[in-house]
Amino acid sequence: MKRGIIALLVSAIVLATAAYWFFGLEKSVNVQDILSFGIIIILVGFGIWFAVRRFSAVRSGEPPEDELSKKIVQKSAAWSYYISLYMWVFLIWLKDRVTMDTEQVLGAGILSMAVIFMLCYIFHRVRGVRNE
Amino acid sequence: MNNRIREFRARFNLTQEDLAKRVNVRRETIVFLEKNKYNPSLKLAHDIAQVFGVPIEEVFTFDDE
Repeated sequence: MKRGIIALLVSAIVLATAAYWFFGLEKSVNVQDILSFGIIIILVGFGIWFAVRRFSAVRSGEPPEDELSKKIVQKSAAWSYYISLYMWVFLIWLKDRVTMDTEQVLGAGILSMAVIFMLCYIFHRVRGVRNE
Repeated sequence: MNNRIREFRARFNLTQEDLAKRVNVRRETIVFLEKNKYNPSLKLAHDIAQVFGVPIEEVFTFDDE
C-alpha cells in the first residue's frame, strides 16, 4: 500500500513538473519537446498503472506484492541496468556528432533509463520468469 | 519444471483465486505457474502441495532436459 502511494505521489510530481515545463516554454515548441513530453506521459501512465494494480490487489484481499512480482521487478532492474550502460555509451558517442547541451544529454539519458526499465518490466511480465 | 496445479485445483474444486489466497500470493502468480511461466520457490511449492495434501513431487515434476 505504501509503495502504491509513493508511486502515485512520484507520478503526480513528475506530471506536474513536466506540465509546468512544457506549457511554460517561452520558445516555440519543437519535435524534441513534444517527444520528451510524450515519453514522460507514457512513464507517468506506467507509474499510475503500477500503483492502481497494487491498490486493487489489496482491495481484493491479495498481498500487494509476492515472490513473482518481486522477482519481475528485480530481474527488470538488473536487465535495465545492463542495457542502460550501453545506452550511456551510445549517448556519449552521439553527443560529439550532434549539437546537444549537457542538460539535454542527461535528460535524454534519464528518460531512456526509465523507458528501458518499463520495457524490461513489460517483457518479463509477458514472458514470465523461469530459472534458466 | 512442469506442474499439475490445474489438475489438482480441478480435483479440489478450487479457483485460482482460492488457491492464491490459501498460499498468500496474487492470483496472477497462480496463472503464471499454470502456464509454466514461473518456477516457484521451494516455500511456495511446499505450500501449494500442502493445500492439496500431497508431496511436492506429485505436483511439480522435472524434465530430464
